[in-house]
This record gives sequence, structure tokens and C-alpha cells, in this order.
Amino acid sequence: MRSFEEIAETFQLAEPEMRLELLLEFAENLPPLPEAYHALRDAGLNLVHECQSPVFLMVEVADGRVKLHADVPREAPTARGFTSILVDAFDGAAPEDVLNAPLDALNALGLSSLLGMQRTRGLSAIYRRVRNEVARRAETAAS
Amino acid sequence: MANYAHPEVLVSTDWVADHLDDTDSLRLVESDEDILLYETGHILNAVKIDWVNDLQDQVVRDYVGKERFAELCRKRGISNDTTVVFYGDKNNWWACYAFWVFKLFGHENCLIMNGGRKKWEGEGRPMTKEKPSFAATNYQAQDPDASIRAFREEVLEHMRANRPLVDVRSPAEYRGELTHMPEYPQEGAMRGGHIPGARNIPWSRAVAEDGTFKPREDLEVIYLHEQGLDPNADTIAYCRIGERSSHTWFVLHYLLGFNDVRNYDGSWTEWGNLVGVPIEKGEPAAVKA
Repeated sequence: MRSFEEIAETFQLAEPEMRLELLLEFAENLPPLPEAYHALRDAGLNLVHECQSPVFLMVEVADGRVKLHADVPREAPTARGFTSILVDAFDGAAPEDVLNAPLDALNALGLSSLLGMQRTRGLSAIYRRVRNEVARRAETAAS
Repeated sequence: MANYAHPEVLVSTDWVADHLDDTDSLRLVESDEDILLYETGHILNAVKIDWVNDLQDQVVRDYVGKERFAELCRKRGISNDTTVVFYGDKNNWWACYAFWVFKLFGHENCLIMNGGRKKWEGEGRPMTKEKPSFAATNYQAQDPDASIRAFREEVLEHMRANRPLVDVRSPAEYRGELTHMPEYPQEGAMRGGHIPGARNIPWSRAVAEDGTFKPREDLEVIYLHEQGLDPNADTIAYCRIGERSSHTWFVLHYLLGFNDVRNYDGSWTEWGNLVGVPIEKGEPAAVKA
């Protein structure tokens, strides 16, 4: 596991074409969704509605650590790749690490201009969902 | 598909499978919404054209100019007499969008693979990750063909003259009920609704379950009988950013034989932000008999 900042640095150092290759690698390496969550996913719960593709996100906070599980269809490699970056960076991280990560994640990864305005909307929604859920659950856990 | 107005512009997945090696005269072009989909596997000998990075100017809000378009074709081994076959994801939205841009710059032989990428994959046909490379050509593009593109001033005149406009977005977008998601309250436009007088015919009504275009008879029932459009009238189609409307532009012109159809690519992200232009909200008016 790497921090979001470490991943962003790798992307920033790469040429634009290489950034897409990196994103594709992440898409290929999204860990399979644990069996325990299949029923939720298949029931259409926990989907990010702003996305054109069915992006399933499960965010939990336990013992001061974030647990992030996700499933994104292979036919949506861009959303799958971005989600895979978030899983790599945030699964097992402290809630503060998620909340302190850059607000504009796509820009930090150097992907905004490559993808174009219209394509980043759904991805930003995935990111917001992760951040909001972490904030909410961290607060519940603390109180 | 034989009885469409211009059946020669549609080819089947079978036809494409039989012509994969005709790379001297034919170029397969994959154009997807998703920037990475081509890289995960594509049809043999297909090249990629990305609607953002290849077709849109990144500084001015416009398509690339004639020279950059020519350069794009040269690098992909497309000559002026090459037959270009487009296919892609999302029911061929972006394939139709790329097809429209090729027509804008005067490319003669453009075809669409009916059913797109989904149908090809669904039939279990082979895909490859191997990127082909073809010898560069000396492509010469023509000046943009104004007869297939509408600009806002023209749309305003068109609206004032009560000529037919087709809004191909979803009914909720048409009625102006915005989906208020956090931090993006306005979906890229300051106002919701539609251009006054526009019919609402969502693009998806032209597509069958398997992603292919519906038969001509079914399309006529929707566009002509139910919605009262006239194939001889000057018609303008629009959506949010001009991609879904290039799909309907294709349907109206090539499948139903409308003579004069233009795509308003500025679409709602332009109209819904313009100061002072008329906007209508709510349900469409009844079709005049």
C-alpha cells in the first residue's frame, strides 16, 4: 500500500500517455470484491449514482482504520482504475489520511486535462463519496 | 437494414469480421466514451480516436481545425479515399460523434458498425490489445461543412421561425428538473429546461435491445407519426454536449432520409448558460395533427 501522495507523484512524473498506462494497470489490479459484499452489490446498494457505470463502494471505519472495498465493471476501465487508486491509497489508512488528501484528486494525479471536463464528473463523485463516508464514519466511531 | 434511406452507411459485425484484413482500403476506428477501453482490447487492426484529445480543441471550445484533423488522419493511415468504419461503446454514441466530425471535414466514405462494441463482444468475437500501425498518408481535409452544424444564432432564428428542434436528452433533463448532486448543483448549465418548441425524443428510442438501430418502420412510427417530424423540413438536434444528438442526427439523415439535419453541438451546456435566450420548462406541447 502506498499513500495517495506517493501515487500522485508517480503519475505526475510520467508523460501523459504513460499516465493512461498507469491508470490501466490500476484498473487491472483492483482487488476482487470480497464474497461478503456480493449480496449488497447485487441488490444495487451502495452504488455511486452519478456514475454512468455501476460503481459499488463500501466504506467502513474500524479500529481507527479505513476499510475500502469496491467493484467496478471491466467495461469501465477509467472508473475502475481511479477507484483502484483509492483502494490502494486508502484501504488500511487512518481516516485523517483520507481527509487530508488533496481535494482535487484528479488534478493531483495529472488526469484532469487528459480526461476532459465531461469525463471527470463521475470520477469526482466517487472521490466525494469516499471522503464523505470516511468523515461520517470516523465521527460516529469517535462519539 | 436494407430499407433505410441510406443503407450503405451501416455494416454488420459479420461484414466487419470479413473485412479485417482490408487495411489498404479500409480503416476501423474505435471511438469510446471511456478513454481506456480501447487499450483493454479492441477489434483487430482498429485504431483509436478519442473524442476529447483527438477531436476537440483543448483551448477554444470547438472541434480541432482542418489541419489538425488532417494530421490525425495521416497518422492513422487514413487517406481521402479510405473507407472508415466507426464503432464504439455506449450504443455507438462516440462512433456517431466521430463519424459526424469526419463528415464535417468532408470525408467521403464513412460507415457505422451496427450494434457497436457491445454487440461484437457479446457475439464472442476476438479482441486484441495489439495496436496496429499504418504508413502515414497525405490526407487533405476540407473546410468544415456548415450544412451539418448549427450555431447558437442559427438555433435562435430557427426557434423564432418555429422550425423543428429535437431535444434528445432524457425527459427529466428536458423538463428542467435538475439532479442536484453535491458540489455540482447545475450539471454544467445555469438553467434547466429546453429550447422553446423542441420535441423531446430521447436518443435511446432509436436503439433496439441489442444496441443496433431499430428497423425503419419502427423509427418512422416514433419520429414521424408520434412526434410529427417532417423529413423535408430543416431540422436541428441537440443534447447536453452534442454527442447523443450526433447519434440522432445519424438516425434522421441516414436511416430516415431527412434532407437537412444539423447537430447543435453547443447544446444545453451552451444554451442553458446564455444570457437572455428563451427557455421553456415542463412537458412538451401536444403534437399538431
